[in-house]
Amino acid sequence: MKQIIVALLCLMIFSSCTKNFVETNKDPNQISDESLKQDFNLVGSPFSNLIFNLNGHQIEEDLCYDSWMGFMNTPTDFVGNVNNTTYYIRWNTYWDRIYGSVMSPSKQVIELAQTNNLPLFATWAKLIRVIGVSKLAAIHGPVIYSNYGSSENSILYDKESDLYSLFFKQLDSIQADFAANPNYAGFTKFDPTAYGGSIPKWQKLVNSLRLRLAMRLSKIDKVTAKAEGEKALSDPAGLIETNGDNFTNSLLGNIMPVAQICYQWDDTRMGAVIESFMVGLKDGRISKYFAPVADASMAADHPSIPYKGIRNGSYIKAKADHLPLSKVSNDFNSVTTRRDFTAAEVAFLKAEAGLRGWAGAGDPKTNYENGIRLSFADWGAGGVDAYIADATSKPTNYVDPVDGRNNFTAVSTITVAWNDADNNELKLEKILTQKYLAAFTQTLEAWVDFRRTGYPKIPHVAKNDSNGDWGVIPADQWIKRMPFVNAERTGNTAAVADAVTKMGTGAKDDIATRLWWDTGGPNF
Amino acid sequence: MSKFKMLLLFMLIANALLAQNRQLSGLVIDSANNGVPGATVKVKAGKAQTVTDADGKFTLSVPAGNIVLEISSVGFAKKEITVAETDNNVSVKMASSSEILSEIVVTALGVKRERKALTYATQQVGGEELRKAANINFVDALNGKAAGLDIKVSNSGAGGSTKAVLRGNKSLTGLSEALYVIDGIPMINNKGSQPDTYGGTDGGDGLSAINPADIETISILRGANAAILYGSQGANGVILITTKKGKAGKTSVDINHSTVLEQVKDLPQFQYRYGTVGGDYSWTAPDLTVIQPDELINITKSPITNIQSNSYQKGYIKDFFRTGATITNSVSVQGGNDKTTAYFSYSNISATGVMPTNKYSKNNFSFSQSTKLLSDKLTLSSNVIFASEISNNRPGAGYYNNPLTGLYLFARDRDFNSFKQNYQVFDSSRNLYKMNWYSTEEKQNNPFWELNNDPKLQKSSRVIASVKASWDIMPHLRFEARGNIDYNNVTRDSRYAAGGNSVTVSTTGSWSYSRYVDQSLYSDGILTYNNTFGNLSLTALGGVSYQKNHFNDGLTFGNGTTAMLYPNVFTFANMPPTVIFNQTGYTIIKQGAFADVQLGYKNFLFLDVAGRNDWASTLANTGNQSYLYPSVGLSAVISDMVKLPTAISYLKIRGSISQTANEVPFNVVHPDNVINNAAGGIGRPSYKPFPDLKPEKIKSNEFGTEMRFLDGRLGFDFTYYNDISTNQFITLPAPSGSGYVSQYINAGRITNHGFELTLTADPIRTKNFSWRTSINASQNKNKIVELIASNPDYQVGGDNEGFASIIKAGGSFNDVYIYHFLRNDAGQIMLDANSVPQKAPTQTLVGNVNPDYLLGWNNNVTYKNWFASALINGKFGGVAFSKTEGFLDSYGVSERTAAARDQGYVTINAIKGDKGVTTIDPYTYYSAVGDRNKIMEPYIFKRTNIRMGQLVIGYNFRPKNANPVIKNASISLVGRNLFFFYKKAPFDPEQSISTANNVQSNDIFGLPPTRSYGINVKFTF
Repeated sequence: MKQIIVALLCLMIFSSCTKNFVETNKDPNQISDESLKQDFNLVGSPFSNLIFNLNGHQIEEDLCYDSWMGFMNTPTDFVGNVNNTTYYIRWNTYWDRIYGSVMSPSKQVIELAQTNNLPLFATWAKLIRVIGVSKLAAIHGPVIYSNYGSSENSILYDKESDLYSLFFKQLDSIQADFAANPNYAGFTKFDPTAYGGSIPKWQKLVNSLRLRLAMRLSKIDKVTAKAEGEKALSDPAGLIETNGDNFTNSLLGNIMPVAQICYQWDDTRMGAVIESFMVGLKDGRISKYFAPVADASMAADHPSIPYKGIRNGSYIKAKADHLPLSKVSNDFNSVTTRRDFTAAEVAFLKAEAGLRGWAGAGDPKTNYENGIRLSFADWGAGGVDAYIADATSKPTNYVDPVDGRNNFTAVSTITVAWNDADNNELKLEKILTQKYLAAFTQTLEAWVDFRRTGYPKIPHVAKNDSNGDWGVIPADQWIKRMPFVNAERTGNTAAVADAVTKMGTGAKDDIATRLWWDTGGPNF
Repeated sequence: MSKFKMLLLFMLIANALLAQNRQLSGLVIDSANNGVPGATVKVKAGKAQTVTDADGKFTLSVPAGNIVLEISSVGFAKKEITVAETDNNVSVKMASSSEILSEIVVTALGVKRERKALTYATQQVGGEELRKAANINFVDALNGKAAGLDIKVSNSGAGGSTKAVLRGNKSLTGLSEALYVIDGIPMINNKGSQPDTYGGTDGGDGLSAINPADIETISILRGANAAILYGSQGANGVILITTKKGKAGKTSVDINHSTVLEQVKDLPQFQYRYGTVGGDYSWTAPDLTVIQPDELINITKSPITNIQSNSYQKGYIKDFFRTGATITNSVSVQGGNDKTTAYFSYSNISATGVMPTNKYSKNNFSFSQSTKLLSDKLTLSSNVIFASEISNNRPGAGYYNNPLTGLYLFARDRDFNSFKQNYQVFDSSRNLYKMNWYSTEEKQNNPFWELNNDPKLQKSSRVIASVKASWDIMPHLRFEARGNIDYNNVTRDSRYAAGGNSVTVSTTGSWSYSRYVDQSLYSDGILTYNNTFGNLSLTALGGVSYQKNHFNDGLTFGNGTTAMLYPNVFTFANMPPTVIFNQTGYTIIKQGAFADVQLGYKNFLFLDVAGRNDWASTLANTGNQSYLYPSVGLSAVISDMVKLPTAISYLKIRGSISQTANEVPFNVVHPDNVINNAAGGIGRPSYKPFPDLKPEKIKSNEFGTEMRFLDGRLGFDFTYYNDISTNQFITLPAPSGSGYVSQYINAGRITNHGFELTLTADPIRTKNFSWRTSINASQNKNKIVELIASNPDYQVGGDNEGFASIIKAGGSFNDVYIYHFLRNDAGQIMLDANSVPQKAPTQTLVGNVNPDYLLGWNNNVTYKNWFASALINGKFGGVAFSKTEGFLDSYGVSERTAAARDQGYVTINAIKGDKGVTTIDPYTYYSAVGDRNKIMEPYIFKRTNIRMGQLVIGYNFRPKNANPVIKNASISLVGRNLFFFYKKAPFDPEQSISTANNVQSNDIFGLPPTRSYGINVKFTF
């Protein structure tokens, strides 16, 4: 009998033990919301991750538009030299970063901001979302945005025209919230950027972002583009006009991606396209962007400027072949921040806005030259006056020291010096060529501009592996977009089909379909 | 050989001691007075024994004086008779039929049951059978010896992990592996990490801590029905290990030595006659000839020609592997009196693998004792196992940091010997050594650099200690209480020297380190009541159990490719500041209360009703943390109920229905925030809280029969089972409205049904010659009936570098999808404008890796003192996939590509535009199919294979005198995995690179198959 009692006792002890189950099932490495409330960290602490994840890494940037636009290219024959850089899609992951690390946590943050009565944090999170999704939309076209937050299994994508309307509307409301609270200091502790929580500085970013997005629509929807552009130019909070106002983000202790890919993995080198421009135009920033080759024979075609890049979409026979070419500057190994939106970009946007006759843009020449000066100053490069005055130097032809199949003749014959007598087309080419050269390490907008206007003029890929799998890019064309991601294709099939119809008649979910604002028509 | 001479000497001594014997003759008959052939006649407490002839007659040399004879035979109860000093002719009548089947079987919780009362399938394998071929891993040794047990062994050599699945995969997220139980107590089997496509090393599992020499017997409880008393842990069946215990009587000492050599066999077919100049490949793209000479600038760094030569080095791949050796020495001592018994054993294993620099050593101690107190009413017993294992450079698999990639893909025109001798070169610019290799590909290293400069260490020290008290409170009523602690201290340390492959190793070297403790506490208390009331018998037990598993308690970190501060200094202080030292560990508490009542009628009809309630901490806050499941079974011994034809000596039928539950993982109910970078950024939880999480549910039905014919010489055991798993635990992308990235849901319906069959026969049973044979066969059919009802296209798993292991409704677990050629309706391969074969747009189902049928055929033959055993293992059906072959083809190093180059083309049934194409350039063809992510159609093979799994031939030295110093000695030659009778895959599909779910029967630069052979010597004092 006694033992039965003992057994029963055990059982009673057990049922009281189950009270510890909740604690037992907690991971000691995780932090509860309750614990994060200490020192008021709960709502603000996720922001550094939200902002950090606006930027991609190797497979999102280096092997995509960094390569397609000729800033960088890989010496590695990834997947048998058939990969994103040669127009055969192997990696397509920015979508996951935006939805997984920006949209999803920001939804929680917005809810926390509301329940904790910190509405300006919700505004801040919404701005981060606009930045992130506007980047994603420049890659895929239609994306999930207005319906994000639906509990339906199938979530429809936004048509691009609707998406941009929504961006502008949200920027209105964000700017209004900020304008009403210019001295709010709540962000200071959590802001990982150079803005240090200053609302007026974030307001400049809002206006600059509006100008960037307006310019994307400059050909497809001239009315909206001009209205929104002028709104940005006239907003009292102003734009990012000095390098001190640059939107510069913390790497959170990580090494700069391009340095990691280059120095640690030996998977990226200088691009041949930017070599052609910088060497040809005698651009002083080249030593700030890149490291000279150690073996002078690699740059035998221009030994006085010993930098050598790899062609966009190169033939790569073996990884070792192109490794001796130029790395990025060693400085990138020690930087702790990266540029996200610079005064130079704003100046070039204003220069183009001036060409397009947008009120408040100012004189294109001034803005153009100011953009170059801002960029040189930002990178600490010398010789800007001579550079701006140079009316003769032109991009050079490219010679691959190890594989002649990658050689190309410079397509662009642009010079740097502004000439008021040039027609608008040539002026636009100059502006966008310089905007391109200033965009190093933040290159997505250069790909946008190239698709929108055809500038700067760059060569085609040497090796074009596009085929029916992801869409064929003809020999006289360049990649137009990234396909929707496989998880969406298989898990949200109907919505993807709907999104394809939203890209217009004849559109396909491939890399050859143009985005909405990529009209292929004349620039003016 | 000196050992062999010693044996001979012992034999001579034993013979010399044969004195003063007398000849005894006799006859063994059954109840119908027919002679019983093949019965064993043995002198009790002596070694003299013989076997009756076809008429049941025997003669035996026995010691002078009164003796006791033991007579035993399958199908009859063992019998002892006393033979007087003067009696030289005896006649023994054996009782046949059902009482012989009062065989006692160890069942769940260590409870012993009469076999005939069991309502579910179980099979026992004796320890001797497991040790026969000198296996150091008892799970590997079970292969083919029990029906329905699907065993996969990692090809990572000694100490590697295994996977044993009974009745198919029941869980999408779990491993569906059987629970291992030692003497009634569940054992931790916390697996280390497993290699995948990209690389890695098998982290081993907890089972290598068990010394096969300590195993008395293994019971396999195949279904949830049998294992219900273990609760959710037993849902995938149980492998019950009963360890050896001391026996009252004279102390005996067993000494065992084995040396087993291991050799690589069945290497891929390589070519050594084609090469090129420079480059990573052993051939050249034909399109290079198109380049105009004036465009060629410094082209010497790229290959220019496709060269054939007879002077390339050959054989270096075969020579790379060495002959492995596993030396095992063990000793055990057991003995005691009627109050106290004890057992002690020690074993040492020292192994060198076929992969150079791979070493493994293990020391095992175990000690158990049992003491009876309080007029034998209280028995206290304890058992301690200590195992210490050290493994160096266990071979891995996959692309990265694997010596086999560089070895196999080595460009044939280069000088392998110089890379072998100078695997490192001094880099004066850094004042350190760097790897010397011609290729900087991410997946290639100099194999010798990898072996010598990238040491991998794994250490574990494990103690399993248990105590048990058993108290006979009153007649028929017993209380047992057990407590157990299982403690395992594990260190994993992989170092990669500076100067290695820059994609995977930082400029100053890389270090991956983890150190943790697994600790499991288990206790239970069980009250048992056992009585008979006239025709009725009652066995009832009730109990409670408590288990607390605290796993991975420690830390892990790795600097990856971020440079350490100083090169080749592997200390915590040398880690770069961005490295996060991750604290690891999780705790799971499980509590159970269980009861089992068995009613018997006239000892031929049994009803078994069992139930268990579990409380699981992983389900805290869901309202489902407490869950109950029942089981009911019936067994009837028909042969005792009605008169059957005499040919049928035994017939039993049984059936049972049960329901159990599978646990869910730790911390999925409400995950919290994490710090996810060195700057302290907070990552919000990405998984949606799951407040109504339910355990996975398994309903299991099984029906079976056991029959014996011809006085038990032929046995037959058949089970049909049908399992339905529901409430599967599935990860899905969360609806964006939730604010989370992913969510868990309970959904799905997986069915497994099949049969298990064991046939045993004694075809020959004569005085000098006996042959026992058994066949274990089984089939399992798995079907994913439903995953997500509202989303029928939903699938788990996706592309993994060219192949996909996909789980979706309508399919089965481990379905393999790969890319086929793009073909037109006529079946012709469609070539693109450059004459390259095109790939189908989507992946196609090509089969399932799991075999349709498992077959093991085990034979034991004795002839006088000789014995032999042969095990033939077959797996039928299923597919296997070799990415290795794909790589060899694309690099032009496979014999296939050389033969194609000899011929000048590959035959193809293709079409380009509207023109038929019958031949294609070998380079173009193999570049389109080989490597990763391409058209993998040519690399799918049949998994079916039949092998000589085990072959043993030996001799028993039986001393003939009554009281010899050496009571028994034997020597045997053993061979394992000797050769294939049939195999289509270019590798061994049963030796897996990983014991994880998703890369089964898939070779990605895994160690080639090996065969083992050796010698096994045993003495009993």
